[in-house]
Amino acid sequence: MKVAVLVKTALDTGQLRVRDTVATEETPLKISDIDRNAIEEAVKQKGQDKAYAVTVLKWGPLQKKAQEAENVLREALAMGLDEAYLVADERLLNASHMATAKALAAVVKKVGADIVLAGEATVDNYTGQMPARVAAELGWPVVTYVRELKVEGGRLIARRDLEDHVEVVEVQLPAVVSVTREINQPRIPTLLAIRAAMKKPVNRLTLADLGVEVAPRIAAAYKPLVIQRKKVVIKDGTPEEKAEKLIQYLRQEGVI
Amino acid sequence: MKALVVYPNRELLYAASTLGGEVAALVFSEREAEAVKGVAHRALVAEVDPRLPDAVAEAVVKAAQSYQVVLLPSTKNGKTVGGLVAQRLGAEFLTDVLSLRVEGGVLKAERYVFGNKAVAAVEAAPPVVVTVAPGRFQGQPPAVQTAVEKVALQVGSKMKIVSVEEKARGAVKLEEAEIIVSVGRGFKKKEDLQMAFELARVLGGQVGCSRPIAADLKWLPEEHWVGLSGKKVKPKLYLAIGISGQPQHIAGILDSRIIAAINNDPSAPIFQNADYGVVEDLYKIVPILINKLSKTKG
Repeated sequence: MKVAVLVKTALDTGQLRVRDTVATEETPLKISDIDRNAIEEAVKQKGQDKAYAVTVLKWGPLQKKAQEAENVLREALAMGLDEAYLVADERLLNASHMATAKALAAVVKKVGADIVLAGEATVDNYTGQMPARVAAELGWPVVTYVRELKVEGGRLIARRDLEDHVEVVEVQLPAVVSVTREINQPRIPTLLAIRAAMKKPVNRLTLADLGVEVAPRIAAAYKPLVIQRKKVVIKDGTPEEKAEKLIQYLRQEGVI
Repeated sequence: MKALVVYPNRELLYAASTLGGEVAALVFSEREAEAVKGVAHRALVAEVDPRLPDAVAEAVVKAAQSYQVVLLPSTKNGKTVGGLVAQRLGAEFLTDVLSLRVEGGVLKAERYVFGNKAVAAVEAAPPVVVTVAPGRFQGQPPAVQTAVEKVALQVGSKMKIVSVEEKARGAVKLEEAEIIVSVGRGFKKKEDLQMAFELARVLGGQVGCSRPIAADLKWLPEEHWVGLSGKKVKPKLYLAIGISGQPQHIAGILDSRIIAAINNDPSAPIFQNADYGVVEDLYKIVPILINKLSKTKG
């Protein structure tokens, strides 16, 4: 089964510096956490076929980040994917989600996958809309929030993890599936796998290569979150003294 | 702006009413149409299974032609429908918005981004699809006359629901709790969680937990699970004990008034997201807290 995995080369929000401004340009990229589960599932499901990592570079500056995104994709390859596609195009930086979905779907068509896997949401923007958008673009069914997946005879059976219940659903392939972190335990690549990944192909594409037209419609400006936490840390003293201090603070706040 | 509300509830209808145009509610039965009478200008009844995102999306696309905004709840199916609809309408999709207004013919909204370190001010020209973060829009939709109409549809779904299993549900209502004592991997065995239950009892709160406790170890049922895949909570006090503070967990506790954390690792990310942090072995400090608090509370 040929699998395409949507791997978001996301901002590593743990390293994002937020003071007066939000420094996205200096923030390194990493594989969006939940996409690791999608990669793991792809490796399990692909059998004798190939599994591809597909990403659209969303954060600039383009030249610097494109190289970084390539390195991030090498990690996905080290986990067992066979080939990577990176769409790096000035017009896609901070562009609309619609354009991103079109670019992703175009790559999926190019590689000819039977199934598209993705994480339920990405760590930087957390909108969780891409799997459904890509499915709509491809005209395939979408199965979201999947925590268990089985494919047999061209049918896909999945357990969807919804708010108050779990739904077991069935669709015909091809399909787009978004997974939750519960679906598996992503592997940590061995040194050997990391070395092997250096030899696997990372293909760079532009919108022109894919024949995709985009018209940006969204604008976003970032500012530090106003409700910053107080970050008072009690480090010194005996456990007794620390407990006393914590209770004191919480009383002052009027929450206990 | 004219708004179409899908899976309508009072909060969504109120949010839609603030946009200043006609409000229509897309519902899936006559009974649901009855429920929106008096609070939406139109009730559009589409006879599709609300559990099937692709069928619902089909109905929304059909009904949305004369509306500039589609509003949905920030639920998992709400977001799935939103994504499908947005791509088909060629629309932007703003998820989990905290605020919403119309300015110069453009929809402006705010949402948390980057592991909740920042707020993004986003704007998009209509058509726009929006999901609304729960609890952000407090108000009553104005009273209006409601016209009930049917949406004629021939839709099949590509998805078949084979079975549905209810998640175990007890007396825990974390969404409504004022105080939550939450437990994480810092607890070494299941029996030790008793300490947290005792502390919660003394404080008059409920017990929550991080992902591994519910999903991997299954020490607590999922109804206790706080986070991106679990519940979003907004207590006045969230006390995180032995929780490292993954972004997915933080996403669930953002709206807490005060966050306090106990962890023996001073570099645990939870401290960056807490008002008060205590670097200490939970096994030492929790019994002391129980003791002190039970004394003063009598």
